[in-house]
Order: sequence, then structure tokens, then C-alpha cells
Amino acid sequence: MAEATVITDPYTEAAERLKTLTKVMTTKAAIAQTPKELVWTLNKAKLYRYTPVLPKEKRHPIPLVLVFALMNRPYILDLRPGHSFVEYMVNKGYDLYLLDWGAPGPEDKNLKFDDYTLDYMPRAIRKLKATFGVEQFSLLGWCIGAILTTIYAALRGDEDGLRNLILLTAPLDFSNKQGLTFARWTDERYFDIDKVLAAFGNMPGEMIDYGAKALKPVENYIGNYVKLWDNIDDPRIVESWHAMNTWVTDNVPLAGGAFRQLIVDLYRKDKLMRGELVIRGERVDLSRIHANLLTVIAEDDHITPSCQSEPIMAKVSSADKELYRVRGGHIGIMAGSGASKFTWPHIDGWLAPRSK
Amino acid sequence: MGEDPNQDGKRFDPLDAWRGVRDIYMDAWSKNMVEMVNTEAYAQATGAMLDTYLTASTPFREALEKAMVKTLEQLAMPTRADVVSIAERMTNIEMRLDDLDAKLDTIQRLITQAGAGPQPQPRKAPQPAKKTVAAKKTTKRGRK
Repeated sequence: MAEATVITDPYTEAAERLKTLTKVMTTKAAIAQTPKELVWTLNKAKLYRYTPVLPKEKRHPIPLVLVFALMNRPYILDLRPGHSFVEYMVNKGYDLYLLDWGAPGPEDKNLKFDDYTLDYMPRAIRKLKATFGVEQFSLLGWCIGAILTTIYAALRGDEDGLRNLILLTAPLDFSNKQGLTFARWTDERYFDIDKVLAAFGNMPGEMIDYGAKALKPVENYIGNYVKLWDNIDDPRIVESWHAMNTWVTDNVPLAGGAFRQLIVDLYRKDKLMRGELVIRGERVDLSRIHANLLTVIAEDDHITPSCQSEPIMAKVSSADKELYRVRGGHIGIMAGSGASKFTWPHIDGWLAPRSK
Repeated sequence: MGEDPNQDGKRFDPLDAWRGVRDIYMDAWSKNMVEMVNTEAYAQATGAMLDTYLTASTPFREALEKAMVKTLEQLAMPTRADVVSIAERMTNIEMRLDDLDAKLDTIQRLITQAGAGPQPQPRKAPQPAKKTVAAKKTTKRGRK
């Protein structure tokens, strides 16, 4: 982004502002620039390894695998240089991997949590362990990615060598229906999931995006652009806004089978926390999670309120567990201006001694 | 427009006061809207709108899909169902390859653990292929 120049002519000033506005509204920012290599691939899913910057003897021996949500691009974790969780963790000496789910096509409409947690994740982990000669690993799941990592940890965690589990803004408990706007919108009285999936196959990214934005309509549809216009002369803010807007507008559909499980089994029936969720014939018993657990809660999260993330602390069998609250929203705690001051150092501080 | 900077180094902007009022108004509007989208009435209304759209569009979508399938068949082109079927088969093949890869990794690990890893063979000068009995027979047959 070019540096701000001193402009005194109001017409030139207005023209420059419009030029900047047009640019950020019509182009994509350069995102996900941390170097990485492809390790494994299956269907649309890919496992990447970020190129280490420290020599092996200075790196933590336990690798960390990042698992993001199914309906958004994972490069929010590596948004732009200097503002990237990935870059931060690589610089701290972690052997870092990213499991990118990709965008499901019409052929993937039947993919369920079963497939993601018992086919894709174990295969990716197996390849990681075989290729890089490690026996144990850490997992970080964010949002729906936290649901997947929790299910995986309960079903295969001990068997596969899961040592540390980090859950960020994890929607796991759906018992408080009054506190969950999504639960109200997707109530079976109002939302016919069969009809929706019969029409679309997969849940379209645009509809998911609408759902997320409609939780705070004024802020997302108006305030966001007002904020940009107010700060259009500040290249630092414009660059940040541009990168975030690139991510926000890059929507991914959610596989129909997984969306049905999310709505019916979780939002409507709260099966995971009640111990009734069955994945490919196996009941998901959260007490089978023994890995060290860090649960991060965003205090201002309007998508996943804290009441959804807290109860898992009492359900797991982990001897070493911590609940960390941080100021910020669902995405802001990891990609906002305070992330590098609070969330990232806390995750590093917790994980480093447990990665030896 | 005032161009002389004030004590804070900022130019006087007559729109500052307007912005303050705007922000207060937007905050109040935002809170009201958040409360509104949290109501049963909103859930019911959006559900009804979606249902109406799906009910109205389904016959057209199905008719279009049928016409498209017939057109593609007439043109001897693959339909969406054909492409989806191939993609599913590709994923199955990828799964099988991944299974084989897992077995090869296991074999490699066991060999390494047993201390009998593949030893580098000393390089030899290329030798002419020895004639085998089968080769001789083939040659003879060829002569016949």
C-alpha cells in the first residue's frame, strides 16, 4: 500500500479516496504468504507444512496441526505478513501444519463429520507422522474445526498420539437455545433442512455468509464500510480492512451431510454434549479425551457465546486443562489487532512447555 | 475547508460533529437490530421467505435440470451426474492409493527398525543383457 501523501486540494483528496475505495472493494489483497509445501492430499483436502525458519535443534519436537472451519478459507490464520498467527508460530519454532478442507463440490454433498473425522483427519495425521518421523502431535481447532478436532480427539486421539488439544471459540454445547440465535433460526418449525439440501446439495457459502452477517446486520452491512470510509486516508487501516474483506468475501459451501449433522444433531438435539452423537457406529464420549486441553473463549463472541465452549472443561478426562478468556470477537481474537498481544502469546506460552 | 492544523495537528473538520451524531445513531440502530434478529418473529419470517423461495423455484429448477440433461445427452456430452460419478470414483481411487501409501510407509518403517534398510548398491559398469533360454527360443522362433 502506498504511503499517504499530503494533499491539500479537496477535489484531488476526494478523487484519491475514491480511488483507494475502488481498489479495496474490487481487488483481492495478497494473503497467505507464509511459504508452505504440500504434504498430503485427498479429494479437496490438503495438508500443508509451513517451511520452518529455525534449525531443527531449536524447534519444538511436537508438531502443531491447524484445523479451521469447513465453511471458510483457513488463510485467516495467515492473513498477511506481520499479522499472521502462522508466521508467529513458525518464528516461535513450531513445526506447523495446516489441514485445508478445500471447497466441496456437488460430488461431496454426502460428506459428513464421520468422513472428516474418521477418514480425512486420521489419514492426514498418519502421513504427517510417517513423513516426519513423529509419534505425537498437537491439534488446534477453530470454530467448526474445533467440533471436528473434539470428535477426533474423543474417537482417535489417544490411539493416534494426540498430546495437546487447543479449542478456539468451540461451539460444542447447544443446550442454551435461548442464547443461540442460530438455534432459533434453524429451529425445525422455521427451517426445513430437507428442502434446503434438496435444492442446493451443499449449503451455499453465500447463505452461510448471510447467516453470519445477519447476527449483527448494521455493523456488517453498513458499519464496516463506514469504518473504511472514515479511515480511508490511513494506509495501515485500509490494508488491514482490505485483507479482512478478501477473506470475508471468499465463501466456501458446507458439505450437505455435515451441515445436516450440524443443524439436526448439534443445534437441535445437542447430541455431542449429551454423549449421544454417534460417528460411524461409535459413540463420541468426551471423557475419552485425555490430551492436555486449552479452551480459548472470546468474550464478545456473538457467533459462539461462551456458554457453548465452557462445558467441555467438565466433560474431558484431561488432567491438564485450562480455560482462557480473551477480549474480542469470534474472528478478532485471532486476526484482530489485539491477537498478537494476547491470544497468540498465550497459546505459545501454554503450548511451548507441552511440546517438549 | 479549513487548512490550518489545530493544536493536535489535525485540520478542522466541520463533519466531525455530524460523525459523532451518526455513530450514536448507528450504535442505537445496531442494538435494536441485534435484538430484532434474535426474536422468534424474525426466525419465522426468514424461514417463511426461504420456504417460499424454495417452493416457487423448485419446479423451474427441476424443469431446467431435465432439459439440460436431455440437451447434453443429445449432444453426447457428459451430464452433471456423470461428472459427479467420475469425481466420486476418483476419490475412491485416492482412498485406495492412500491405503497403499500407508502400507508402504509401514513396510519402510519396519525395514528401518530391523536395521536392514536398503543398502546403497555399488555402481557397476553397464553390462550387456545375458541371453536367456527364453530369449534364445524367441530368437529361434523369430528366425523360423
